[in-house]
Amino acid sequence: MNPSQISIKPLVATLGFALLLVFAGSLSAGRLSISWTEMLSLVSNRLQGIESVGDLASKELVFFYIRLPRCLMALLVGVSLSLSGAVYQGLFRNPLVSPDILGVSAGCTFGAALGLMMGASSMAPVHLLSFVFGMAAVGLSVSLARVIAVKPVIVLVLAGMVVLSFFNALLMTLKYFSDPYDELPSIIFWVMGSLGRVSWGNVAIMAPIALGGTLIFLIFSFRLNILSLGDTQAKSLGLSPQWSRIMLITVSSFLVASAVATCGQICWIGLIIPHMARSLVGPGHERMMPVTALLGGIFLLVADGAARSVTSAEIPVGIITALVGAPAFGYLMFKNRGSGWI
Amino acid sequence: MDIILECKSLAFSHGSTQILNDISFKVGQGRFCAILGRNGSGKTTLLHCLNRVNTPDSGQVILQGEDAAHLSQKQIARRISLVPQEHLDMFPFRVIDVVVMGRAPFLALSALPGPSDYAKAEAALEALNASELGDKNFNRISGGERRIALLARAMTQATQIMLLDEPTNHLDFNNQYHLLSAIREQCLNQGISIVASMHDPNMAALFADDVVMIKNGTIMAGGPAKDLMNRETISRLYDTPIDELQVPQYPGPMFFPEAVLKEGKHVR
Repeated sequence: MNPSQISIKPLVATLGFALLLVFAGSLSAGRLSISWTEMLSLVSNRLQGIESVGDLASKELVFFYIRLPRCLMALLVGVSLSLSGAVYQGLFRNPLVSPDILGVSAGCTFGAALGLMMGASSMAPVHLLSFVFGMAAVGLSVSLARVIAVKPVIVLVLAGMVVLSFFNALLMTLKYFSDPYDELPSIIFWVMGSLGRVSWGNVAIMAPIALGGTLIFLIFSFRLNILSLGDTQAKSLGLSPQWSRIMLITVSSFLVASAVATCGQICWIGLIIPHMARSLVGPGHERMMPVTALLGGIFLLVADGAARSVTSAEIPVGIITALVGAPAFGYLMFKNRGSGWI
Repeated sequence: MDIILECKSLAFSHGSTQILNDISFKVGQGRFCAILGRNGSGKTTLLHCLNRVNTPDSGQVILQGEDAAHLSQKQIARRISLVPQEHLDMFPFRVIDVVVMGRAPFLALSALPGPSDYAKAEAALEALNASELGDKNFNRISGGERRIALLARAMTQATQIMLLDEPTNHLDFNNQYHLLSAIREQCLNQGISIVASMHDPNMAALFADDVVMIKNGTIMAGGPAKDLMNRETISRLYDTPIDELQVPQYPGPMFFPEAVLKEGKHVR
């Protein structure tokens, strides 16, 4: 049966339930295992204002100050990256596009490296610099494309390549001049992407951005179908493509830059999750966007849970997403062959 | 006759290349207007200027009495629809999902097409005898079937004016006549006005009320088809001697390049 015909409500309900299970599972996973019954008593103690004692007291600290913000962040980042990927693939009418294409990740990485080398005592300036440079990189790509002003879509891709390469060159320069025993490893670990540094403060910043962006994307999802037909048809169906493109690029860059600035580069989610959603429910964005969001959240929660519990030392989650993402993408291309899209 | 679309000394250039210059013509309500011209004469560019896919350098397009430059893209899309010529690969949408996009100019920003929108889309496919296309993958149907699907989308858009860019491209021998008469029926029954770029002067002579002939980016001739569809004018348009044949039962003359009929060198 054509995936565009299946009803998505049961699927969304199933995925929503799966997300809750995975969230609870991810909360319990890690070096310090917290069982579900312990979690329940921790939460009820907290709600009733009772102090946890003994073994539970240390678990309380881990649960409320490390695990919970970290899992919430994994959920928010997974949703943000996968939705941004879906939006970019629709905007650029290309299945190989990920949100990095306009240089946002390269800009973020450069900004973070700059912050790490300035030797700040806290992570806050690193996050801020990273976010600012990520947005600046996208701004440069978009402005360059506007100056050239012909064939808007392909020129945006090329302008993105120019900006991305430039920021990568700047990053290499920084790496070359950095201290090889201290700064260089911290830059390299930062690039690998990890949710290990997440605090409640990060969640408080990320949550409104991710929720606002998700809302805008869901509102705009049917219009994305029309944008994906190209500028001529979009205009003849009453949609102004330039305006929509700028708006959607700004919102997704905001999401991706906020995610990368706190967690580093977590690859493949923006590329593979939208493909997975499309092969489940078809290409209509009003159907695939909710599925993409749920799958993205589940995927990063599972990957981060694995990053914490597979070995005794924590693995950067970016390694896990890349290890799983690349072969999964290959499989999806095989499965969707002959749809006339790949 | 009510004038529904008027083009006033319109000019358009692509970078430094002037493509259209001083184009003026009028289209009446319920009229089928054919745009004829050689390859590269600017037919598609002109159509795209009429619904502001292209922004003209100068001149005006008046849609139902209002200057299109003062209308939003959405307002324009409620008055004028386009069946484009080129096909870009898209996501593997179902045909019905492509057709229902014709309702987009009537939906609020966040709204999805509902059952009544889908009913309109299905009715349009049915009017073109193409209901069976609905559930197929748009990327997997033939060029001619895509043409029909995109025409159904324009009909779903339910505008007073329809722009058709070479509507018979990719269509088989019988479907070319079938499609053009279905379009003409729309003009006669519902008062819709058509502006269609066409390659075959015989087709234009059969179906069009008016013709606009474009040569080197300007209007060579324009007016009722019965006044302009003759060998002298068509010869001038295509820069080649054209002969005409009178065939019994056929309404009007048939046109052929003279070389084909006279020399017989390259024809069996």
